[in-house]
Amino acid sequence: MKKYNYIFLALFLLIGMTSCMEDLPTKYDYTGYQFANLDANAGQWKLLLHTSNEQISIPNPAAAGSAELLKELADAKEKQSKATSAQREAVAYWTNNPLLRWNEIALELATKYNLIPAPNPDGSYPVPDPANPSKYPKFPYSHPPYTSRMLAHLSVAQYDGLIMAWQYKYKFKRQAPYQMDPQIKSSYEKNGLFSYPSDGAVIAIASRDVLTAMFPLEKDFLAQKAQEHLESLVVAGINVSSDVDAGQLIGAGVAKTVLARAATDGMKNAQTTRVKSDSIKNAAKDRFGWVWENQETPQRMVGLVPLFGKVRTWNVPNVEAIRPGPPPAPNSPEFQKAAAELKAYADKLTTNQRRIANFWNDGLNTYTPPGHWNRFAKEEVVANKLSPVRTARVFAYLNMAIADAGIACWDAKYYYHYPRPIQTISGFKTILGTPNFPAYTSGHASFSGAAAEVMAHFFPANAAQFRTWAEEASMSRIYGGIHYSFDATAGLTQGRQAAAFSIAKAKLDGAD
Amino acid sequence: MGSTFRDVAPTQVEILDWTCVFSFLFTSHLFAMKNYFRFLGLLGASLGTITIAQAQTPLDGLMMPKGEICIALQYDQVTWDRYWEGSTIRVNQNIGTFTRQTDMPMIVGGITDKVNVILSLPYVKTGASAGQMAGVQGIQDFGISVKALLLEKSIGKGKLTGFSNLSFSTPASNYLSDYMPFSLGFGAKELGIRAIGKYELDKGAYLRVSYSFLNRGITEAERDFYYADGSFYTSKMDVPNALLGQVTVGSWMMKKKLRVEASLTTFQSTSGDDIQVYSMPQPTNKVDFDRIEGFAQYYFRTNGGLGLIASYQQAISGRNMGQFSGYGFGLTYQFKALQ
Repeated sequence: MKKYNYIFLALFLLIGMTSCMEDLPTKYDYTGYQFANLDANAGQWKLLLHTSNEQISIPNPAAAGSAELLKELADAKEKQSKATSAQREAVAYWTNNPLLRWNEIALELATKYNLIPAPNPDGSYPVPDPANPSKYPKFPYSHPPYTSRMLAHLSVAQYDGLIMAWQYKYKFKRQAPYQMDPQIKSSYEKNGLFSYPSDGAVIAIASRDVLTAMFPLEKDFLAQKAQEHLESLVVAGINVSSDVDAGQLIGAGVAKTVLARAATDGMKNAQTTRVKSDSIKNAAKDRFGWVWENQETPQRMVGLVPLFGKVRTWNVPNVEAIRPGPPPAPNSPEFQKAAAELKAYADKLTTNQRRIANFWNDGLNTYTPPGHWNRFAKEEVVANKLSPVRTARVFAYLNMAIADAGIACWDAKYYYHYPRPIQTISGFKTILGTPNFPAYTSGHASFSGAAAEVMAHFFPANAAQFRTWAEEASMSRIYGGIHYSFDATAGLTQGRQAAAFSIAKAKLDGAD
Repeated sequence: MGSTFRDVAPTQVEILDWTCVFSFLFTSHLFAMKNYFRFLGLLGASLGTITIAQAQTPLDGLMMPKGEICIALQYDQVTWDRYWEGSTIRVNQNIGTFTRQTDMPMIVGGITDKVNVILSLPYVKTGASAGQMAGVQGIQDFGISVKALLLEKSIGKGKLTGFSNLSFSTPASNYLSDYMPFSLGFGAKELGIRAIGKYELDKGAYLRVSYSFLNRGITEAERDFYYADGSFYTSKMDVPNALLGQVTVGSWMMKKKLRVEASLTTFQSTSGDDIQVYSMPQPTNKVDFDRIEGFAQYYFRTNGGLGLIASYQQAISGRNMGQFSGYGFGLTYQFKALQ
């Protein structure tokens, strides 16, 4: 038997080798970097929700050479020299453009809470209750509209906060600790950015506060993340404690302003009662003669956020301005053509078409299409080495456009109340789950059309790529069997129109 | 034990298929050989299939002697209408009754009297009776397994035998594993190693115990972001490794033309996340289950030739998989290919 023993030994070794799995990435792999431009005049850029770049006041900083500042520098030096390995890891994690990390945390929470309520035993469906967020189904259900709105508020708070931070940085011109004291080392590239107030602290607190309001059950997690981030600023050698304190004041202030807007934007009425939902449905039936009905068992009697179309927009003046004309009536020749196309794909989908359908699915328990585009923006920001404030600008205009596109799309969805393919095509089977809202226009197309245009504006070198992705995201829903081609076409146009309002505003904000 | 192999896989929720069984055990013919190999039953592995098979089918109980070949074709059908979401039972009327059917051709050959090779290539079909999600069908995984007789000793009024088995399987088509519960398999390579011990009385009754470690690799999704107790920014999904134990009692009857068995199987993933509430399963899930099964094999003669097999299985507990039950039947044919 001896020779067999060798064979088995060899196989054992093979098994041992394959068990050394590679580590799979759980975050974007980037480090602190040299900013392409410090954007010295960003304090003059146009604010989004605030009227003055010193609207949130901070104390005058202690002068260079003062005993107070020397003590802070000594304290920073000690913290840096005594940093634990966990603190050093935190410094590497947060980087000198930590907005990207907070955006990533926001996407993670959006993913975690993007779970559709399961039916009750009696066949009804429960609804998340913001007043009792831990009761099943947990609040929030971070579906695409919710996520788009969450990201817009987060990004706007970050942007206004950094404009104010830049205003004060260039007003007080306090040098960074590593410049004032050669014994303090910067953990990142030495950008020479003035340190009072800390832009990192603005981001930490603004993000913590906005996200805590959006994901109340994550309060402790977010507080712990913010604390770790704040500590890292001093350990990294880029801020002293008074920089951090001042940054926190601004962060808290802008979050308060933004959350006041969120409290009154109409989102709390978006998920309607059955009675209201039926009246919306009946209005569409009277108007057009067709109506969308949820096809699940048990049937969901109320679609997803029927009144999201009434939520306050950021830059689109009113949703009617970009509401498309009606879709072709079911059984019209144009409809029949679209339905035949769907059946053809269902019968024979190529490997690449299937890949596109799945790549862009961004369904339950994912970061949704808005999150997908935020991920692209993050990668583009690092590739272009944008400063924190210019990064915030990209995300703010991107997410305002995405949210506006979503609001306009939802207006069309419930105005037209158009049935999905599984409702109109008998026996139709799909490879993607059909969402709980009407078909026309496609949310994927609208979100992506808007996102691609804003990205193309800020990163013109890759404009063609972004637009190709938007087209692909739109087609993905047709390959998946859950949208007609006219949903996608109208959605793309609608998204692009929504983006035009944000882009027009960005062009006048003083940054270019 | 049977053979095993892929047990479940991917599909978590689906699991189903097991049954498959084919084990390879070879059989019969052995009588002719009279000597050692009589009744060694053992296992084989089937690789490739999603299953753990158990029953050995074809060949049962013995190693195939050098130059013998056994061809088997087995059909299995497993269904469920409830599944474990984590450890909580969930009924989803948008799935209704889920069915997984497997056609598994298998070839077992005796390389020597103590080493057998088993090849398998199952064809799988899945579908749900309700809802609008499309089922799939196609070739699943190619499996190859080597089984060796390592120990053989007479003790009391019976004989103790010990085997080891090494298996490898790999997807044989570009099926998408990240489409559960419909996906054909878990979409990753698997290396398995098993130890099998059997004690058989001269009168025909036997007890068999086996233990397996299944090392599963990475499967490739078509999305590059997913959530598994946290975000993953990659299309690669780590399919959990698994431990598989089985205890079987059985006996030969009718002058060794009939063999019947009952077994208890336990399958435990060594890592993985739970299915999210009311969501689709995914290849990263921790799949566990305990199963009972019955198996019978009948040979028309005692020296090779045609055999029939039938099996029944049922899950008695589980995690992140369907509460399955099902049956299987098949044909085996054994002949001497080389002198």
